[in-house]
This record gives sequence, structure tokens and C-alpha cells, in this order.
Amino acid sequence: MDDINNIIANIPKLITASGETLYIVGFALLLGGFLGLVLGLILYVTRPGNLLQNRPVFTILNVIVNIFRPIPFLIFLVALQPLTRIVVGTGNGNTAMVFTMSMAAMFGISRVVEQNLLTVSPGVIEAARSVGASRLRVIFTVILGEALGPLILGYTFVLVVIVDMSALAGTIAGGGLGTFALENGYRQFKPELTYAALVIVIILVQLIQFLGNWLARKALRR
Amino acid sequence: MALVSLTDVTKTYPDPNDRKRQIAAIDGVSLDIQAGDVYGIIGYSGAGKSTLVRLINALESASSGSILVDGAEVTTMREGELRKLRLGIGMIFQQFNLFNAKTVRANIAYPLKVAGVPKAERNRRVEELLAFVGLSEKAKSFPDQLSGGQKQRVGIARALATSPRILLADEATSALDPETTHEVLGLLKKVNQELGITIIVITHEMDVIQQIATKVAVMENGKVIENGEVYEVFSNPQHAATRRFVSTVVRGIPVGEELQTLRYRHPGRIFTVSILDGDTSQARVFEILTQAGLGFELIYGGINDIQGRTFGHLTLAVTGDDAAIESALAQISALTEIVEAR
Ligand SMILES: Nc1ncnc2c1ncn2[C@@H]1O[C@H](COP(=O)(O)OP(=O)(O)OP(=O)(O)O)[C@@H](O)[C@H]1O
Ligand SMILES: [Mg+2]
Repeated sequence: MDDINNIIANIPKLITASGETLYIVGFALLLGGFLGLVLGLILYVTRPGNLLQNRPVFTILNVIVNIFRPIPFLIFLVALQPLTRIVVGTGNGNTAMVFTMSMAAMFGISRVVEQNLLTVSPGVIEAARSVGASRLRVIFTVILGEALGPLILGYTFVLVVIVDMSALAGTIAGGGLGTFALENGYRQFKPELTYAALVIVIILVQLIQFLGNWLARKALRR
Repeated sequence: MALVSLTDVTKTYPDPNDRKRQIAAIDGVSLDIQAGDVYGIIGYSGAGKSTLVRLINALESASSGSILVDGAEVTTMREGELRKLRLGIGMIFQQFNLFNAKTVRANIAYPLKVAGVPKAERNRRVEELLAFVGLSEKAKSFPDQLSGGQKQRVGIARALATSPRILLADEATSALDPETTHEVLGLLKKVNQELGITIIVITHEMDVIQQIATKVAVMENGKVIENGEVYEVFSNPQHAATRRFVSTVVRGIPVGEELQTLRYRHPGRIFTVSILDGDTSQARVFEILTQAGLGFELIYGGINDIQGRTFGHLTLAVTGDDAAIESALAQISALTEIVEAR
């Protein structure tokens, strides 16, 4: 009974924490997703043999992504602090976390985007070229469309990873459900509050998965 | 003037094993294709057929030589001019290469969008094309809901959308069964005859050439080794590769094992008579043999119809008196070519 009362008493805090998580995850997805799309697209088109092949650009970006993508997020977050302070003005708080996570997500997403675009058949691209479509037109009206289904699934996967990052990022320098679970549940020996946060995260992730799969199915018509 | 004219065209690629060396995929090809032709290009895998057609719509750039399409030099065109050129050249593919994320209607409308055709006009044209290829009721389907033959018909409609003067078909029927192949070839014939579109058909199947081509070029190792009217090439092939292709659709003179089997089965001497178009000698040949009191039997060969002209070889086993055979032989030789199998 105490447990339930305790959870009820903490509902306002839980709502705030959920809001913060949604804020961090949402904006990190928007910014990181967009930057990752651009970076992935550049990697794809500049790859030797592709539409705008450019060996130097491809090689440099490829090396950069290979260096940054595998860095464990906690180390990345701490190491990026100086840049975060320059860009956001502070290394603390939810907005700073959005920036850090966007950067980390960008590298991961760029690979997801690149890999999915590579599955588009060269023949289909050639067909579009053969009717007189310019390279840019082919990229935006054919390649992205053909890869849309797998791209949505890729983004869904990444979004779940971002939720994961947000919990960790929050405990270092921001708010959100991770911080709530740590400070109100774990540190104060109130496991029921940890579980309350856990349930909310599970629901959130399931919703994301469901929505992503549904959208991908629509895009793939399967 | 030829609609498409290639002069001394070469296309080289860096050798994948040794980047400093070059391999010639196309090696000094000169070819004239007249408006209205259905021009077949046949050759074994790796002969350079795909490379050759992709040079015509400049999906590939030539290493040297001149390519004129409708009098305009393609090899020196800039990107913008190339896009205009391509609006006038349709292309269909072995794997169809439809846009899988778009409906049939959107696939066909795509080239029109690229060409900047206004929406109302676009819709009208798409309906027209759907009717032409017989797929009006599939407008809202997606490519993965169609059979191979239907997919290729969408491919044809898409290629024709901008009313091009030339259609390039790269192994357009190689992924289809014989029945569907026949249908699609029929449609291509209609494209040529009703719309007056010049078609360049690439294939490795002589059947395809026989069914629709008016002219043919045989390619080997990046070179055109023989070309001309299909009838001329079929009835009188000059190169070994051409003879091999021709023999896949035409039974000629029996040799080797086939001849041995024939000898084993039939008594008498074996002769092969050439039958050419406009030649009434066939009936005369039989008459001469009968009058000479010889027994004979047709044992091998056939007569082919190419573009409404016939030719072929008939192999006969002849029995009877040797002197009578010789005299009959002399009479037949005056009419047409006759050779004894050795
Ligand atoms: N992009 C390329 N890079 C290197 N070599 C190439 C390239 N494209 C074609 N080639 C080579 O050029 C030659 C001709 O190829 P092409 O595709 O034109 O042959 P094809 O006659 O169409 O054969 P198939 O019947 O198998 O389609 C081959 O030896 C091929 O390996
Ligand atoms: Mg080919």
C-alpha cells in the first residue's frame, strides 16, 4: 500500500521526467536524424561508382564516421563537453544533452542510411537516368523513395537506441526518466519508483516500435 | 541519313587486375541504324552489347569515336543536353528496373514529370499508354503485384512515355518464358509498326532476331563481326560465331555425329540442297529425281521464314543407279547449290 501511495505522490515528478525524456529523445531524433540522413546520403552518393562519386570526400567522411561511431556513448558525451559548451553555452541540462546525443546519433544513423540506400538496385537508378532525370532528381525522387521502408525500420531501431542514450545522458547532466529512477528510486531505496520509470520506458519503446513497424509496412505495402 | 550512326567507337575500362592497363569493351565499332529499323544486336555474354547501347543514350561515355543520334554528336554533349537527348530515347531492361515504391501509373508518369509535362496532359498520356500496352486495369498496382510479362509491358509504357524516336531494348525478354517472350516481342513489333519507333534490340537468342529484327549485327569481343539484313545474314553467314547463332534456329547441313546417325539409318547417298527465296527449284528438284527413276527420302533440314522470305536446306538420301544419280545431280546443279555429304 505504501508503495502505491509513494508512486501516486511522485506522479507529478514522473510526468516531468517523462516530458524531459520525450523532449531530449524527440529533439535528438530530429536533429541527429536529419544530420545523419545528410551525412549518410553524402557517403552514399560520393562512394566510388555511385552518382556523384568523389573519392577524397568519401574517404575522409568514411574515416571520420569509422572513428567516432564506435566510441562508447558515455566517453563520447564527456569528451564532447568542450564543444557542447561552445555550441549550447553550457555543458549541463537537457538542451546540452540534445546536442550531445544528436552528434552521437548522427554517426550511427549515417551508416544506417548509407547501408539502406546501397540496397537500391543500380538498374532502377539507371532506368531513371535513362529517361533524362538529373542526378539530384534521381536521388530525391527515386533512391530515397525506393529505400523508404528499410529506412523507417532503421530509424526505429536508432530511436530505441536514443531512448537508451537519453537515460544515461540524463544521469550525467540532465533530467528525464533515467535520472528519476536513479535519484528517487535507486539512491533512496524505493525500488517501486525505479519500476514505475521502467514501465513508462517500456511503454514508450513499445509505442516507438509499433509506430515504426506500422509506418514501414505502409511504405512497403506488406 | 542514318538515325543513329556510330563511327570507329571504342570504350575502354581499366583492367580490374591491373589498373594501369585498359580493356576494350567496344573496339572500333562502326554501325548505321536507319529510322524505322528493328536492329538486332546479338552476341555471347561479354561481347559488349550492353555497353554499345548504353553509349547511344550516353549512360556510358565513349573513349573515342563519334556517335550521331539524329545528326547530333552525343560524345561532346553536356549534362543538360544529354538529358534532352534521353527524353528522345526510351530504354527497357532485362530486369525491368521498375520503381518498386511507385504504382504502375506513377512509373509511367515519371518520365513525363521529368520532362515537365503539366499534370492534366500527363494523366491523359498515361491512360493512353496503359491502354496501348493493355494494362489499364493495373494502373494502381505496384510492380511486385505483376507478372514478368506485365512488368515488361509497364517498362515499355514508361520508355514510350515521352514519345521517343528510338527504343533501346537490352535483353528485354531474357527473363521471360517463351510464351511471354512471344507476347512482348509482339508488342515491340507493334511499337515499331504503329508508332514508327526505331528499335535496337540486344539479345543472345537468335529466336528474338528471327521474330522481330529487320537487320542484325553480330558482336564478338567488342567488335561487330558481321551485319546486314537479317535474311542475308541468316542465309549466308560468314563467321563461325554467326554460323553457330544461325544453327540455333535453322537446321543447315548435317555434320559429325548427326551425319553418322543419318548414314546409319538411311541407305543410299546423302545430298543437301539449298533452297533460297524466290527459287521455285524445290518442286523441280523432286521432279528431276523422279524422272531419273531414283528413290529418295527427305531426312534432315527445314525451310525458314524470315521477314516473309524463305530459305533453308533439305537433305535427301538418294538410292538408285550411280549413273542416273550423276545425271540428276548435273541437272539440279544448274538450278541451285547441291552438295554431297562426305
Ligand atoms: N563498368 C565496367 N567496368 C569494367 N569493365 C566493364 C564494365 N562494364 C562492362 N565491362 C566489361 O566490358 C565487356 C562487355 O560488357 P557488356 O556488359 O557490354 O557485355 P554484354 O555483351 O552485354 O554481355 P551480357 O550478355 O552478359 O549482358 C565485358 O568484358 C565486361 O566485363
Ligand atoms: Mg548485357
